[in-house]
Amino acid sequence: MSAAAIPVEQIKTITMSIYRYDPTVDEKPYMQDLVVEIPTDKDIMVLDALHLAKQQEPSLSYRRSCREGVCGSDGMNINGKNGLACVTPLSEVLKRNKITLRPMPGLPVVRDLIVDMKQFFDQLEKVKPYLITKSDSPDIERKQTPEDREELDGLYECILCGCCSTSCPSFWWNPDKFLGPAALLQSWRFIADTRDEATEERLDDLEDAFSLYRCHGIMNCVSVCPKGLNPTEAISNIRNKLLTREKN
Amino acid sequence: MIEKDNRPVNLNLLTISLPIIGLSSILHRISGVAVFFSFPLIVWVFSISLKSENSFLMLSNLLQNSIAFKAITFLILVGFGYHLLAGIRKLISDAFGVGETLESGRVLSWLVFGATFLMAVLFLFYLF
Repeated sequence: MSAAAIPVEQIKTITMSIYRYDPTVDEKPYMQDLVVEIPTDKDIMVLDALHLAKQQEPSLSYRRSCREGVCGSDGMNINGKNGLACVTPLSEVLKRNKITLRPMPGLPVVRDLIVDMKQFFDQLEKVKPYLITKSDSPDIERKQTPEDREELDGLYECILCGCCSTSCPSFWWNPDKFLGPAALLQSWRFIADTRDEATEERLDDLEDAFSLYRCHGIMNCVSVCPKGLNPTEAISNIRNKLLTREKN
Repeated sequence: MIEKDNRPVNLNLLTISLPIIGLSSILHRISGVAVFFSFPLIVWVFSISLKSENSFLMLSNLLQNSIAFKAITFLILVGFGYHLLAGIRKLISDAFGVGETLESGRVLSWLVFGATFLMAVLFLFYLF
């Protein structure tokens, strides 16, 4: 999209205050205000506005791929609240013609709006986010009733954008010990799966002071999830399962 | 992280929005710490009140006339009241699974704030 091709009467200017940091040049990050011309005949997304800003400032860096809320690449902190730039309408977040963009909190900044997601994916890896089976494989496939399958609704949709975990104070202070809402949602996704045969081991792995129990129900995760999922409820389900299971 | 990491982290809490449920949860923690540290003071005042009839009357007189004494008592009572109510809310959430959606969580947080406000008004009325 090029602002130059739009008739003048359909353009307005907004200020985008963007977190900038280039490790090869900058000692410290700083906020840069860019005045950007945006079209007024349609409501563009924050990501579109970023593209327009990048035409002015080609060194501006951010991740993006599918630009429709599926790949989970462009998670960022928009006016203080995490979200996906590609599915956040600019009109919803503009305040007095201004928008502030920062990288997702709590993770090391690689450059500008790009954070290093290693800690996030390390935590995901710990919950073994795949089906574990011990019985012999059936001839065709492991089947589920539609009701059992329904248990996974609200869990399988996670796109691992990291918005939830990086908005969670418990994850900020203990990113290596507390698994974080995203990983715990996936943990429950496999505990709740009737085809999975490692429920006990999964629960054993969570039974320490930090992995799961560092969740204090702050619910920032629920309020930011761009897919409308509820990690707090998943965490509560795991907790109940841990408390009610018969100890061997 | 084990290796030294010099990369910046965006964690300026003043720039990150805190929804009402988060605020309620963090105030629960803060009020808990405050109540914990006020405990020695409460025990000390309590021990003075038990020393003799005179010391009891002296404290009773302070509570009726000293603005500073009233203000400290008020703050401790409100802090304790908020902590108690928010704690009960958390117990209810844990036991019955209510307040785990965004809407119900917000309602419960507002209820706790509202009840604390009423309690504070009552304390004000009683103390001042």
